[in-house]
Parts: sequence; structure tokens; C-alpha cells
Amino acid sequence: MKTNGREANWFWRWKFKLADRAVRFDPDRYGWPWLSGSASWVIPTAFSVIAIKQFTACSRSEISERRIRLGADMLLDRVCLGGGWNSGNSVVYGVPLPAHVESTAIALLALQDEEPTSVIRASLGWLKQRSSTIESAESLAWCILSLFVYQEPVEHLKDRLATLIGDGRDIRNNATLATAILALKCGEMIHPFEVLR
Amino acid sequence: MNVDRRRFIGSAAGMATTGVVADCLWPKHSVSYRRPRSFVAILNAPEYSEKTETLLMEGLRLFRFSLLGKTVLLKPNLVEDLPGPVNTNANIIGAAARCFLRLGATRVMIGEGPGHQRDTELVVEAADLKPHLADRRIEFVDLNRDELAKVRLKANYSGLGDLWLPRTVLDSDFVVSIPKVKTHHWAGVTLSMKNMFGVVPGMKYGWPKNLLHWHGIHESILDICATVPIHFVIADGIAAMEGNGPLQGTARELGRIVLADDPVAADATCARLMGFDPLQVQHLSEGGRFLGNLRADRITMLAERIEAPIRPFAVLPEFHYLLARTVL
Repeated sequence: MKTNGREANWFWRWKFKLADRAVRFDPDRYGWPWLSGSASWVIPTAFSVIAIKQFTACSRSEISERRIRLGADMLLDRVCLGGGWNSGNSVVYGVPLPAHVESTAIALLALQDEEPTSVIRASLGWLKQRSSTIESAESLAWCILSLFVYQEPVEHLKDRLATLIGDGRDIRNNATLATAILALKCGEMIHPFEVLR
Repeated sequence: MNVDRRRFIGSAAGMATTGVVADCLWPKHSVSYRRPRSFVAILNAPEYSEKTETLLMEGLRLFRFSLLGKTVLLKPNLVEDLPGPVNTNANIIGAAARCFLRLGATRVMIGEGPGHQRDTELVVEAADLKPHLADRRIEFVDLNRDELAKVRLKANYSGLGDLWLPRTVLDSDFVVSIPKVKTHHWAGVTLSMKNMFGVVPGMKYGWPKNLLHWHGIHESILDICATVPIHFVIADGIAAMEGNGPLQGTARELGRIVLADDPVAADATCARLMGFDPLQVQHLSEGGRFLGNLRADRITMLAERIEAPIRPFAVLPEFHYLLARTVL
């Protein structure tokens, strides 16, 4: 709860507001870094928001609510033009950055119980469209896990994922294999990233 | 005015002397890879084609290295699944892998840890590298998720002290950096030395490896290159990138592959081909003190000569200082 991106510090906040205009973001809306001493990024912020939402589902304190709001606001601030999320900022040196599949899927999981604003709907639309052409097991697995909680059809994606991983022997990355198994079991067991409303 | 100038020159000389003394008393690096001479070969290659492998093999034969029984790690620059000259071209990577096997390497591994994308497979797929991995003797290793070992850095510019690095990198006998020649909106250029950011594991430091940025990009480059020495460079400058690189820049046809047995000499040569003064690139000017040769008179050209570009590579306004007054 106490971990912040480095831009949360007043000095860096003012630097990003006044002097450093290469990247476009609101430094008052900060989330979580990959490791302390660095800035907030989309994926660690999204996972932190999911963890706090799940952990405090039955008794949400003022502090946890504030931290969830700040994290969700940070995600909404960094959304790419046209929907979806890159790894961090959406614009660098005036040029919009493209959305990434994993960042978008995981950010949407963090925002699953938020009001479905146009930003969230556009991001969901982007992910749905992108999911039809993904040939990578890890990204496809995250798509399934995310689209499922938004009640989008995922059976055809599960079939494709099952074909991609085969018997799993060629998947050398255990994290990918684990995510793929969770995705294939979507709807048959408790969804590990679902937030109870 | 004269007094002021004298005072200024006196102060500057004093500071420089203090710097030299401080460097002698507390050196920032514990290794030196600089040799009396370095060798560079610029190969003319107007396009990626089936002839690339033959050209590369001819170029590699200009260098005398023995790879018999050695494990070779190729470190390309695979960053994102984006169109344009963002990633090292797969033809160059595949050709290099096959050439090193023909030159006697026991094993060739291609290792990369993309900085932004967690899904390395997506990047490998987009870069069209998979067909080159069909050869069982060529293996791809995701450096973001490899087994790690904690390593004391052999230079101390960043203040990081130590880093966790992939076993595959540490256990390799011969490390080949295969960068894409690009401008970079934080570092000025991204060439063989900056390319080594990709050996730092995302699993430990995140995507991107933002800690390195906070500790200084140039400083981190120097520390990494001192700790993981680059034995050879194959710079993909056939289709390069200018402007707002390394992702959002515009394509620039350079038509060159640069081979070198020294990363500083390689990057200095690439910078000169781009119309930049390598001395203005902080990690190159400092790297020239211990990682390799920067000065043109210490670099022997084995193939083509450096030709000044008719038009230097476009840079963001912040990097106008890179442009060479006299290009060579």
C-alpha cells in the first residue's frame, strides 16, 4: 500500500509538470513500479489494484479505497489514443504509442468493476479485435482471461490457444504455461483475477 | 576580459587535473578491454536478400578469431512488434547464426530480453525470426526469464553496484552484439553498447528496465558493457532509423553492415556513418577510455572506407549537438 512510483515524490512531480514535457502524463496520478526506485508502470499498477480489490473485497478501508482510486486513475490517464495500454505513457515526444496486448488485458482486469466508460469500452474493443490475430500463447492467454470477465465469447480463442500450446512440451516459459492453463480453464474454476462486486 | 579568460582557463585546468587525479585514486572501472588497434569492416549491402549470408561470411573471414568448441551468444535488438526498422532484421540474425556455426562454434544461441514487451514470443514472431530457429543447432533464449546470477559490476558509473544477469549470457564464450542502427530519444543513438540493455532481465527489473534509466542511461550502458564484454559486433545498418527512435522514428536507407572486434570502434564508426560526432555520445566518449577504441587513427578499416553521409541522420532538437561539424 505504501509503495509508489518514483514520480509520486513532490520533486519529480513538479519536474514532470514544469520541465520535462517529453512524455505526456499527469504525475499526480501515480501507481506502482516494477521495483522501488523507479516510475509507475501499467502492469504492476494493474496487478496491485487487482490484489487490493480482491484482498479488501469484504472490508474496504478509506486508505485502500484511496489507493485503488489512485491506481485506477493512473491507468485511465495513461490509456492510448484509440484504446488499450502501452507499458507506461501513451505519448512520447508528441507521438502516440501503440497499445500492447498484455498491458491492455491486465489493465482491463484491474478495471473490470469500474464504470464502463468510453475509454474502457474502446480498450475492450481494441483487445477483442487484436485477439483474432494473435499467434503467441502468452498474449492470447491474457486476452482470454480478460475478455472472459467482460462476458465476451472466448471459446474460439481457447481452441486456438489449445492448438498453440499442444502438449505444452515446447513452451519453455513456465509463466506462459501457467497462464495458458488458467486461460484454458476459464469458466470451469474460480477465475484468479476476478474481482467480486 | 583577459583576466577573466585566464581565470576561466586556470579553473578549467584545475578541474580537469582534479578529475584526472580523482580518476587515478578512485577509478570507475576495474577492467580495460582497449587494445592498441581495433578492426572494423563496413560492408555495402543495399538490401536484405539471400546474398546477405555470403556477404556476411566474407566479411567475418576478414577477422581472425577462433571459435572452435566455443558457445556463441548472438544478442540482436528485438524490441517490439511494430512495423518499420525497429528490430534487427531476422535475415541478418539467421545468417550470423549459420556463419558462426560454419566458423566452428559448437553452439549458437540467440538471446534477447525485450525491454517493453513481456511477451517475447510475440516479438520473435513479429520479427519473423522463427524460420531461422528451425535449425536444431540454433536456440533462442528469452533473457528476461533465464536463470539468473548476481554479479558485481566491473564499473561504477551508475552506482548500481551489482546486477542479476542471465546465466546464458555469463556462460557464453563469445558475445556478439547485433544492433539495429537507430537514433534514440534518450541516449542519442542505440548501437552495439546500448543494445546490451537487453541482457538485463525483465523478470527482476521489470518492463521496461526503468531502474537503469533512473541510474543514468549512459552510466548503466558503461557498467553493463564493462561486466559483459562484447567480443564482436554485427550492426544492421541496411535499413536504419532516424528521428524519434528507437520505436517511432522514420526509416533511413543506409545500406551498410558494420562488423567490428570492438564495440566502441563499431559504434563510433556507425555514429560517423550517421553524420554524428562519436565524442558527443557520452557512453562512447567515456567508453573510449577503457571499453575500446574511439579514435579513427586507432581503427583499421578492413573493407569499405567511411563515407560522409550527404545528409546526416535526423535527430530530435535535443540532440542537435550530436551532429558532426566535419563528419569524419
